[in-house]
Amino acid sequence: MSPTASHLETRHHELRKMRMLMVDGNLTGNQRSVQAGVSARAYRGGYWGFASAPAGAAEVQARVREQALRNAAAMAGFGARTALALPGEHDRGEQRRQGRTPLSAAECGERMAALHAYCMKQYPGLRSTRVMLTDEAHVKRLQTDAGADSLARIQRAAVYVVLVGEDEEGAPIELTEIVSGLGSLADIDWSLATLAPRLDVLHGHLQAKRHAVAARGGEQQVVLSADLTGMLAHEAMGHPCEADAVLSGAVTADLRGKRVASELITMMDLAHHWDGRELMCPVYADDEGTPARDVTMIERGVLRDFMHSRETAARLGLEPSGNARAYGPDDEPLVRMRNTAVLPGTSSLQELIEGVDEGYLLLDTSNGQADATTEFMFGVNLGYEIRGGRLGRAIRDTTLSGSALKVLRDVDGVGREMKWSCNGYCGKKQPMVVSVGGPALRTRAHLGGQ
Amino acid sequence: MTSDFDPAHSAEAALAALRARGFEQVQVTVSESHRQELNLAHNEPSLLRSTASRRLAATGIVGGRRASADGNDLSAAGIAAFIESLWSAAGSAPVDDANAVSTAQAANFARGPREADPAQLASALRHLLEWRAANAPAMMIEEGLAAHVRSRMHTLTHSPAGAGSVIAADLGWYELSVFGLAREDGQTSSFNFAGGTADDLTDAPTLFGIDRMMRDLVQQVRTQPLGERFVGDVVLAPGAVDDLISWLMEQLGDGPLIDGSSIYRERVGQRVASPLLTLQSRWDAPGCVPLSGDAFVTPPTTLLDAGVLTQLMPSFYGSRKTGLPHRPVAAQGWELRGGRTPLAEIVAGVRRGALVDRLSMGSPAPNGDFSGVIKNSFRIDSGEVGAALAETMISGNVARMLHEVRAVSRERIDRGIQALPWLCIGGLHFS
Repeated sequence: MSPTASHLETRHHELRKMRMLMVDGNLTGNQRSVQAGVSARAYRGGYWGFASAPAGAAEVQARVREQALRNAAAMAGFGARTALALPGEHDRGEQRRQGRTPLSAAECGERMAALHAYCMKQYPGLRSTRVMLTDEAHVKRLQTDAGADSLARIQRAAVYVVLVGEDEEGAPIELTEIVSGLGSLADIDWSLATLAPRLDVLHGHLQAKRHAVAARGGEQQVVLSADLTGMLAHEAMGHPCEADAVLSGAVTADLRGKRVASELITMMDLAHHWDGRELMCPVYADDEGTPARDVTMIERGVLRDFMHSRETAARLGLEPSGNARAYGPDDEPLVRMRNTAVLPGTSSLQELIEGVDEGYLLLDTSNGQADATTEFMFGVNLGYEIRGGRLGRAIRDTTLSGSALKVLRDVDGVGREMKWSCNGYCGKKQPMVVSVGGPALRTRAHLGGQ
Repeated sequence: MTSDFDPAHSAEAALAALRARGFEQVQVTVSESHRQELNLAHNEPSLLRSTASRRLAATGIVGGRRASADGNDLSAAGIAAFIESLWSAAGSAPVDDANAVSTAQAANFARGPREADPAQLASALRHLLEWRAANAPAMMIEEGLAAHVRSRMHTLTHSPAGAGSVIAADLGWYELSVFGLAREDGQTSSFNFAGGTADDLTDAPTLFGIDRMMRDLVQQVRTQPLGERFVGDVVLAPGAVDDLISWLMEQLGDGPLIDGSSIYRERVGQRVASPLLTLQSRWDAPGCVPLSGDAFVTPPTTLLDAGVLTQLMPSFYGSRKTGLPHRPVAAQGWELRGGRTPLAEIVAGVRRGALVDRLSMGSPAPNGDFSGVIKNSFRIDSGEVGAALAETMISGNVARMLHEVRAVSRERIDRGIQALPWLCIGGLHFS
């Protein structure tokens, strides 16, 4: 389809969320929400206009379309501008609902209570437990004046079990087990039978953390677990490869076609499938009606491509990739990631550890932030010393940081086991549901400490 | 911006329907908000947004079982479905005698500019762009916005324990924010952000420290690593001070109080911070309202009085659950009292350390231990501000840092919902 200098999209968007929180057997949070709205976004004369309103009467759609067009026209007060020719196809398709019958509130509550009871019985000495459930479902009907007509669905669920203990000095310490996946809470396996052995392992880590020692500050050789690799892919290299960040001057702007990482590194933002399986955050058409395709950001160490909306593609003379996504009914599409991952290599985790004479195995992260410079930071709340290729003492909570470009160049081993997760939100003006994935990596990075 | 929608009428209808369904205690809030927002992208005006939203939020308690829900379908059928969903969720919740709603709260707040002035929004962005071009041309505004918000809400409660609460608010305010970085000769600074709420935007771009942030970013394009480890001082800018205050507030709230992990639970009346720190409410700031989320009117409070903790902050539920006193606080609106020392004098007194605008770190541990990357920061040696820093970390303990504040600046950045000074704190480990 030929690029056009105008665009009008209309989106009917329903967002359902559920959150339950049980602290020490007390249901302190038991919350549901439903938000349904209609939005329209218009591109006229080089400017955008957007309007939204709650869904309801039939005239709402016509009203928000008119308002969006008026808003775009009003922007001309900033001066006449040449409109960009917006490229890309317009998708027509329907994503069918899949999955099991949702769990009732009663079933959720009973299973939370059973998890709490199991932990308190099985792990004497625990100070506290928290069990949290989240379930979030988006249904979007998107139409454009150029012919797109798509129905998209994203639903994800997550279960968090937090064990709170005490260290040797009586200070609180905690660790979290998370199960997350595509679909509702009925579609992910968080049965006690499945979780019990994982909680046993988590409790073992908590016991080790009671006697944790401070990590040595400064640059260290580290083995990052799959969880940290996924975060690295998303935060440290994913954001600087969003084309709006590139247009703003992210360091990646001048690196296309250049080596930015070890040859062992291939990193992608995947649209909906990988290795024959539907991913946790499948996007078949984005919120501009563009059919979604995979984006290879780094191929065997070389920076290849960026993630695009129609506008960023037009500005850079490239094709849109289906990365324009809006979080809620009142939100306009922005360039956002979908399922971002470092692809697996050939090593086992044990082989990666055995290759470290003196360093750290970092297993779990609390949060992460990154920068346009690719400098990143992750909170690390579970890790162990490595001495002579063997695991040593647990370390206290610390922070991992570095330049992603340098950290990825220093990678000398990539694990073969891939792990995906989709809990938490990506933040960028609006929140967004995304998934991250990756294998374990061995590299060098900066650890916080004394 | 006017609307025929009557939140009071809808709230009364929803309350009656929830009681008729069998709920013994109910809290209902119906709200409507309109937002007009002008956006910048890549140093250019890009988008005008107009959004309208309505919301019905309710908490229902029956037999000691509680659930909460919110939705935006206020049709008769929508409300009926909403109530059935709430009833089902509450019925399956465990009995908890601590569940209760507020009683006998009465207030009606009307504040701020209720009508949007589109010319003021456009003027604010024009001034931002002109200031950037004249004073910080290397600055790239990745996202900027000027917005007006009008929010009307009506909250009602019903409880056999007392008279129902009736609370209404009609607020208007403006917002202005800038997010971006600076770039020169192929080199890029870290990104930074400044923004806040105000009754008008005529002072853009000096509002909320936006001009200072943009000017500093240009100085942060070329950075140097620290290159050594030492124990030194930090002068934390208001954005980084916010991280300390946020951690303290979290420790005073429901989660850590209920699970027992808060180190402040038994510290009311004791000194928990430097005597230089006085932290008090400003519920009357633009965009703020003296109401808690569980429908209590919140009296003004001084949370830290010269370093002494005056109260904890459990919700009504948290208070009943823990037996701790209930002194409700609003969701936002806090200020740290400014000190007597000019910022320049504070910096001049630092022998070795850093001027830190932003902390990038994981959540501090429950005991306050943290380590984090200092972003948008400059080295200080012998009282002189030097090069911008790259890849520099500090580690310490937030609770101890609150004690070890050595100076509070006279200057503050007033972001509307928050006003904070710069703080000088010693004993941080740099690496």
